[in-house]
Amino acid sequence: MTTSLTGTEERRAPAVHREVVRKRRGPRLTGWAYAAPTALFVLIFFVVPTVLVARMSVSDWNLFAGDRGYNAPENFTAAVQNRLFWPAVGFTVKYTLVTTVILLVLALGLALLVQESSRWSGFLRTAFLVPSALGLASASLLFYALYSPQSSPLGFLGISFLGTPAGALWSTVVLIVWRFAGFYMLLLLVGLQGISGDVYEAARLDGATRWQTFRYVTLPLLRSSLALCTILCVTGSMLAFDQFYLLTKGGPDNSTITIVQLVYNLAFQGANDLGRAAALSILILGALLVVNLVQFRGLRGREN
Amino acid sequence: MSRTPRYVLTGGLAVLFLAPLLWAAIASVSPQPGTRQIDGWGLGNYQTLANYQAGIGQYLLNSTLVAGMTVLFTLFVSLLGGYAFAMFRFPGRNVLFLLTLAILMVPYATLLIPLYVLLNDLGLQNSLVGLSLVLTMFQLPFAVFMMRISFEAVPKELGESALVDGCGSLRALLHILVPAVRPGLITVGLFAFLAAWNDFITPLVLISDSGKLPLPLAVANMRQQVMGIVDYGATEAGVVALALPCIVLFLALQRHYVRGFMSGALKG
Amino acid sequence: MRHNRLSRAILAGLLMTTMAACGDGGAQGTAAPPAGAGVEGVDDGSKLTLWTRAPLESQAKALVEAYNATHKNQVELTIVPNDDYVAKVGAAAGSGDLPDLFAADIVYVPNWTKSGLFHDLTESIGQLSYADEINQGHVRAGTYEGRKYVLPFVLDLSVIFWNKALYREAGLDPEKGPATLDEFKEHALAVQKLGRTDVHGTYFGGNCGGCNVFTWFPMIWASGAEVMADDGGKSLLDGAAAQKVYRTWRDLRAAGAIAPGAKDETGATWVAAFQEGKVGVMPYPATLLQTAAKTVDVGVTAIPGASAGTGSTFVGGDGIGISKDSELTQQAWNFLSWLTSEAAQVEVLAKNDSSVARTDLVDNRYAVEDPRVVTINKTAAAPQSRTPVAVNFQQAFNAPGSPWVTLLRNQVYGDASSLATDNEALTSVLAQ
Repeated sequence: MTTSLTGTEERRAPAVHREVVRKRRGPRLTGWAYAAPTALFVLIFFVVPTVLVARMSVSDWNLFAGDRGYNAPENFTAAVQNRLFWPAVGFTVKYTLVTTVILLVLALGLALLVQESSRWSGFLRTAFLVPSALGLASASLLFYALYSPQSSPLGFLGISFLGTPAGALWSTVVLIVWRFAGFYMLLLLVGLQGISGDVYEAARLDGATRWQTFRYVTLPLLRSSLALCTILCVTGSMLAFDQFYLLTKGGPDNSTITIVQLVYNLAFQGANDLGRAAALSILILGALLVVNLVQFRGLRGREN
Repeated sequence: MSRTPRYVLTGGLAVLFLAPLLWAAIASVSPQPGTRQIDGWGLGNYQTLANYQAGIGQYLLNSTLVAGMTVLFTLFVSLLGGYAFAMFRFPGRNVLFLLTLAILMVPYATLLIPLYVLLNDLGLQNSLVGLSLVLTMFQLPFAVFMMRISFEAVPKELGESALVDGCGSLRALLHILVPAVRPGLITVGLFAFLAAWNDFITPLVLISDSGKLPLPLAVANMRQQVMGIVDYGATEAGVVALALPCIVLFLALQRHYVRGFMSGALKG
Repeated sequence: MRHNRLSRAILAGLLMTTMAACGDGGAQGTAAPPAGAGVEGVDDGSKLTLWTRAPLESQAKALVEAYNATHKNQVELTIVPNDDYVAKVGAAAGSGDLPDLFAADIVYVPNWTKSGLFHDLTESIGQLSYADEINQGHVRAGTYEGRKYVLPFVLDLSVIFWNKALYREAGLDPEKGPATLDEFKEHALAVQKLGRTDVHGTYFGGNCGGCNVFTWFPMIWASGAEVMADDGGKSLLDGAAAQKVYRTWRDLRAAGAIAPGAKDETGATWVAAFQEGKVGVMPYPATLLQTAAKTVDVGVTAIPGASAGTGSTFVGGDGIGISKDSELTQQAWNFLSWLTSEAAQVEVLAKNDSSVARTDLVDNRYAVEDPRVVTINKTAAAPQSRTPVAVNFQQAFNAPGSPWVTLLRNQVYGDASSLATDNEALTSVLAQ
């Protein structure tokens, strides 16, 4: 372990000198060298396409006809004035709130349930986690068959799963909770394991009840794990697409159309207007950046 | 809470989570009108699946190739990237990290058209390599974040002692740190595999040669018959065929990736 | 610092190439005119690519296999999921990457010809001796500014199916289907009166725009009215004939004669109940005759209007053309020329129980074996049959949550007095 791979000159140089180099310039260059693949990927496959999306958003850009020139801010005003824009925003916010609250409460409950290490807990953990192995599209297809009157084993309930606005919303929430609860449980479990046993011991000695321990010890110490879950869940829900695309197509009566579905519809279903779709995407990106910056603040503030 | 009610309650919950999967497996072999399996139990729906167009062998091979390449690319990029973010300070570090996380925040439906154009320019249109590169990009936020916290959780002394010993940083990484972050790598690899194996919209737009389609697209193609009628039997068989490798892999690696999460600096 | 400069250079380079590639719309100039090589085009062993959507898989496969077996040219077929076909074609069109040949749902064809996705086939089609016998609905839908771009690929027609066994049980003449809308209602009510819990008078896709375009428009045409004016820029779906159609369905709904599930039916299962023998009479896709006949004794007639006449059908299905990006246009024309020939129409399509796209071939040797097929083929050529043409057809009618879905749901289930407003919403989308 005495040779270095960073270069023959360096190997010959005295050890003291080498340390100085590494502290001054070395780490910068080496840091960049290791970050380079990430940077290249992000640049080529994310930044460049995003720049193109931004350009589309200020251009009259038809899916088939291509770029027909600069037209800002027409795409943005047209996107906001679309008859489905506000219903889509409203539904997306509602769906995000419902999903995030239910998913996090349930995931926390499951994490508390399986946190002790025993064989039974291990089995439960696995059972809750297995749905996370499915792709969202596969899971949606599965529930599509599960909800369809033609193939459903739940016909005896006499419920129209996807036929009413409320039914369609809750049926989708059930799918998402089923698919993701285990994943968030795992994230929270990690947080729980990080809380030292001494803290609980101290609480017990102080005579705290179960609820008091949970409320005043567990929850505050879990805050950053919870914040991470919230960020992931809010971002995922605000960009919800696959599940609605496969299950409800935005129906019935446009009651479950999300904002990303509107983007997809503008681009690929009828209007074929990439300019407006891009404008809407930029608006979503902006909204998500703001929401997540606020949440990041919460996360960071706690850590430091 | 006494023992028995607790077992009943938690066991019931577990059943709820497992039931949809069990139902799909059973329904895919049970008789149902409007499918290949009309009378009695059997594998009729799987025959539909097996003989669809290029044959299931080709689709499985394509999916395996795409998932394999995506795992390799993701591991390579995120191992080095996570190391850089965790161990080095360099200009633009925070910007690059936030930019990587921002990938999560752009609706991918919009990115696909520019990506299509871009792959054409790179000569990677209609190729499984191009598809894998794009899927890798979508994996990066999770992968780089995960590897960063894995490296940060490695005791500082371990990394430093390697460097002081006179190891180059690459050597330190390969010989000392990689074993330490192995659970993180397994977690990242597993999630990259699951995402690549299951992705549907990306290959739909990026691949046009029917001999190169991955399995999810074949399943989606099969689902819709004439006049939008759905073959539920074939759909269920497709879901099972898609889910089975994932679940097996998931269970096989469970111990490792749970540790991968645990080892992270997500604590408290 | 090397990395910084390198990445900046890459960024600049990429941006430029990306923008440039998006700007040019495809290279039509380089390809030879399809008509240049005569009526049959060129068969020189070229490799052609063809895209179609998944619902037409069986017909497309049969056609391609028959062509490949008898020609030097070889066609490679790509099947795309129905709901994602537009996305795929759009992505390819934007970067000049369309296949040589591609089919399109005939109602989208006007939008795509207007966007310049197809090669002009006017001269080539003019060379065909049977040009006037080709289904005019499809040809008209593929005509833009007097130029012809598209030929019929596969026809899909809507007709009335009735269940003869249920008719007999209900005391109706099992050999005679409804000839007017009122008769349609009477027949459905008669079957409903059997009082069997698992049997209903009729069924429809109550939350499916495409289904009811396909089945209700012919009722309006058969009544002598039109559904749109101004080349598809204005909706006439608030007319007297249309209102008669809505009233018929509303009455059937009020009488409980529509099988349960119709209100939520998005089109995924709208044909299932009839195949299971649970429905008396309903408008139905003719393509499914053989499938339905396996389980039900089916009667077939044209879709009726307010008064008795020849009836009507929606001439749907897919049209096909040569893409703007094809450089093998004369070879691609060889496929299209063969596609409209008797060899393909009769020996492939008719043999596989599909409708033929030429009026001079309706009485072919496969069709005469089953009088129902002759009925279907003749309906396709009936004077009241149409393929509606509108540039914004998908957005206005077929897309989930379209103004047409809103209109029809209000007419059958909701507040029927909103017709004028709903129709205006429809017109405003059509006129965009």
